[in-house]
Amino acid sequence: MTTPIIQCHHLSYSYTGKTALSDVGFNVLAGEPVGLVGPNGAGKTTLLSLLCGFLPVSSGTLTLFGHKPGAAVLSGKVSALPQDARLDPALTIGEQLRFYARLQGLTTKQATNEAIRVLDAVSLNDSFKLKPDTLSHGMAKRVAIAQALIGSPELILLDEPTAGLDPVNTRNIRSIITELSPATTFIISSHDLTELGRLCQKILLLENGLMSSMQLNASEHNSPTRFITLQMEPSPAVEVIEKFKQLKGVIQVSNPQKNEYIVQYNPDIEAKMDLQVLGCIADNGWQYRQLSQGKTLEEKLFFDGE
Amino acid sequence: MTTFYLHLPVNNETLQFSLLSKIYQLTGKNMSSGFLMHSLLICQFELKRLFSTRKGLLYLITFTLVWYFILFYPLRSAADFLAQEHNAAAGGSFLDFVGWGALLNWQVPELAVYWHFALIIFPLLTILTSADQTCSDRERGTLRFLGLRVSRNSLFFGRFAGAMLSHALLIAISLLSTVVVAVYQDAALLASALNGAAAIAVNLLIVLLPFTAMMAVLSATVKSARQATVWAILIWSFLAGIISLLSSYLPVLESLKILVPGYQMSALSQLSQWQAIQLAYIPLLQSVVLLSLGCWIMHRQKL
Repeated sequence: MTTPIIQCHHLSYSYTGKTALSDVGFNVLAGEPVGLVGPNGAGKTTLLSLLCGFLPVSSGTLTLFGHKPGAAVLSGKVSALPQDARLDPALTIGEQLRFYARLQGLTTKQATNEAIRVLDAVSLNDSFKLKPDTLSHGMAKRVAIAQALIGSPELILLDEPTAGLDPVNTRNIRSIITELSPATTFIISSHDLTELGRLCQKILLLENGLMSSMQLNASEHNSPTRFITLQMEPSPAVEVIEKFKQLKGVIQVSNPQKNEYIVQYNPDIEAKMDLQVLGCIADNGWQYRQLSQGKTLEEKLFFDGE
Repeated sequence: MTTFYLHLPVNNETLQFSLLSKIYQLTGKNMSSGFLMHSLLICQFELKRLFSTRKGLLYLITFTLVWYFILFYPLRSAADFLAQEHNAAAGGSFLDFVGWGALLNWQVPELAVYWHFALIIFPLLTILTSADQTCSDRERGTLRFLGLRVSRNSLFFGRFAGAMLSHALLIAISLLSTVVVAVYQDAALLASALNGAAAIAVNLLIVLLPFTAMMAVLSATVKSARQATVWAILIWSFLAGIISLLSSYLPVLESLKILVPGYQMSALSQLSQWQAIQLAYIPLLQSVVLLSLGCWIMHRQKL
């Protein structure tokens, strides 16, 4: 059996009276990216800070590759994009990245090449000699991601990696994560559930300091009912729901947001429900934007019980 | 062994994303090289900061200018005066009369004056220039990038060593210029001047150890360099004042003065050349205590 790279048991953390994490426990195996989601103030950044060793573990146990967070042996093995961390404005970006690479054990020449390589990876190859203050927020975020890619980390913790990035660079970061996985394990904290849905198979949900986990796609395959999520062009909601309900095998139709419908059906009665739904849309002269199997990650995580 | 490549859609280039990484893995070069290596690298980087940043260069230029004026006006005049006093009858000189007779024990008058200037100027400079060892980096989050790569001990001691190295450099520059001025006046003094300069350099660095350590502790505690400087002055004045006050009622408390950095300074000014080393135990002891305290704080601080 594979040993988890992160082992967390009964982890709690409080900020002068306010509980940020309460009895949190989870394991992460090396491999596919893991998403970390939760509302604002749920404790995501606190958890990542504990994993990085920025905060001392005061209650519970937490190990990365069998070592305490922040242990010197983890240098070069674990890297991170910390939230709101900025480089020193007095020194050039290249100098600082080279210095970080040197601290990870690279020679001066290797460190220079490495700094150039990671800046290239985030499409900032012209920024080597620039000072951090000359960069926009999005560019500074990409430099911070670049420093997390130095060397060959086995675990990279990313706190809101795509927040504030333009679509092209968001896609670029997604490509980097996809290419490096599963050799490098990513833990990605984000509010962008679409992004996490694309990248991650496992989601850790933090709410009010408590954690639960979800394996995506696993639950639906074993379930006696399945879902279709449909984004429609403006259409008469009552009529759409009524028509969908008349389809064979449909159990329930809900309308969680304007022009969005979730069709719950029994696959034993009608296995190809997507074709039935599309046929119904065509017969009524409606237009649709997107049809996807299953519920959206947002629905699964936050509105499943409703 | 697998090697994978990163295809970047943005610039259509194929980068050998992990080839280098694999080489490093195979050669074992990306493993932690330990406390000493990290501390040394951080120390070197601090020295680089002194020479390559605007703030560092401004500090160096200011120091050079100030030192130029000290060297050519008060220091030379005082040295000339001292040379005249050397010729006065023992015990009958003006300096003996005002209690500064120890100045006459120095073989090179310029170094005697330097020693007295340095005992005041360098501790003050240390309080001002060593205040930002970790605080602004912690507030900015830069320490997080470093904390992912090195232990907090390496970070703390590396920055401390970097600050000491900067002091050593400034002491060396100022001392060398003083030796040049002294030897220019009298070339026969070269050997004595070099010996005296070495004694001053060693003693001065030892004197500055607890001041730098005190600033390292404060920098690990507060949010800005300005706060660290203000706290240093407050704590130093409070400690010196309160101990003096209490010891006037209870003389046994006089021994607590050993806790105050610079406590031995007035005694040091009465000693010349290598004699001063006999009081080195006081700053060394203070430094051990302060550095232990700083380390403890650094481990408890959130980055």
